[in-house]
Amino acid sequence: MKQRVWDLPTRLFHWSLVLLVGLSWWTAETGRDALHLWFGYAVLFLILFRILWGFLGSSTARFSAFVRGPGAVVEYVRNRFRWPLAGHAPLGALSVIALLVLLSVQVGTGLFAVDEDGLFGGPFAHLVSVAASDNVTDLHEELFDWLLILIGLHVAAILVYRLALGRNLLGPMITGKADLPRGMEPMRPATPLVAIVCTVLALVATLWIVFGAPPFGS
Amino acid sequence: MMVAKSAYALCAIALLAGCKAQEPANQANAVTPSAETQNAASAAPLTKDQALALMKAREHHMEAFADATKTIGNALKAPSPDAAPIRQSAAKIAELAPKLESWFPAGTGPDVGKTRAKAEIWQKPEDFALKAHDFNQAAQTFNLAATSGDLSQINASFEALGKSCKACHDLYRAPKKD
Repeated sequence: MKQRVWDLPTRLFHWSLVLLVGLSWWTAETGRDALHLWFGYAVLFLILFRILWGFLGSSTARFSAFVRGPGAVVEYVRNRFRWPLAGHAPLGALSVIALLVLLSVQVGTGLFAVDEDGLFGGPFAHLVSVAASDNVTDLHEELFDWLLILIGLHVAAILVYRLALGRNLLGPMITGKADLPRGMEPMRPATPLVAIVCTVLALVATLWIVFGAPPFGS
Repeated sequence: MMVAKSAYALCAIALLAGCKAQEPANQANAVTPSAETQNAASAAPLTKDQALALMKAREHHMEAFADATKTIGNALKAPSPDAAPIRQSAAKIAELAPKLESWFPAGTGPDVGKTRAKAEIWQKPEDFALKAHDFNQAAQTFNLAATSGDLSQINASFEALGKSCKACHDLYRAPKKD
């Protein structure tokens, strides 16, 4: 019987991020700087929401459910990729954490970045020197390659699970449901009210940053 | 490594801005190729070393434009912008802008060395000259505004200046590669 594994906010977060990372890449490559800024703000909102959701969301979305030490990873591998809990297994959790951290750094550096002609900049670019802004911008560009590597590993792992272990990880991230082994506890959902509160808080924080974090940003 | 990369980026910026400066500063309205540029084209072609030296200098000049626009952009974001850096950077741009076209003589394209200046610059010299001319006009207008100190004029003419940079870069500057 199919049981719930991923809630709707987590799935919306995931697929919006896929779309926005693609759009951010495209706008950067084609010099659409104004659009790139807006897509960056959208990613910022998603990240802030996901961090809040990691504390207040459904059981499988919480950091406390999947941030584990290296011992868990070793145990998981020894146990032939079997894990007794629904949600992120230890290896997948590493992928989630690495992607969230790197995306946060991407958004953070973007806030201080400036385009090569000095025509567009992040909302905090003017708070640091031109040279610092240029260096941060280079980092912002270089880190994207690392992001591509992480995304590649993430997708490759899903393929390996599918082809070598016969497990479908893609379906549950779309439908939110999976066949769980007997006795495995399914996701305990958070209430819609919590999702609304997290959304509003993330939105307010994003807008505050978009407007240069008044009154500190001037 | 990062520093080296930023140096690249800056150089690239410089290259791209690639608008030929065909007109001397004192003939701001003439959009015909200057005698200097034409002579350069018809006289003995540049040696490889000469061309590479010109291309390198071009990068530095374009980098100077970018540094100036970034300085101005940062200053303009303050609640009450500081006039001095805006004036200095505006003067720097206004001083270099009339020369820009002359930084793109024949034989300094991507077939000769590493540059983001596209071959189209030398295939459409009239259009390139026009873009360089527009840029110079915008640079002089902006410099006047900066000298006047009128903030609304400064903002409006800075935006126009940015558009004149972009108009040329969009057509004649290759994407950044590292």
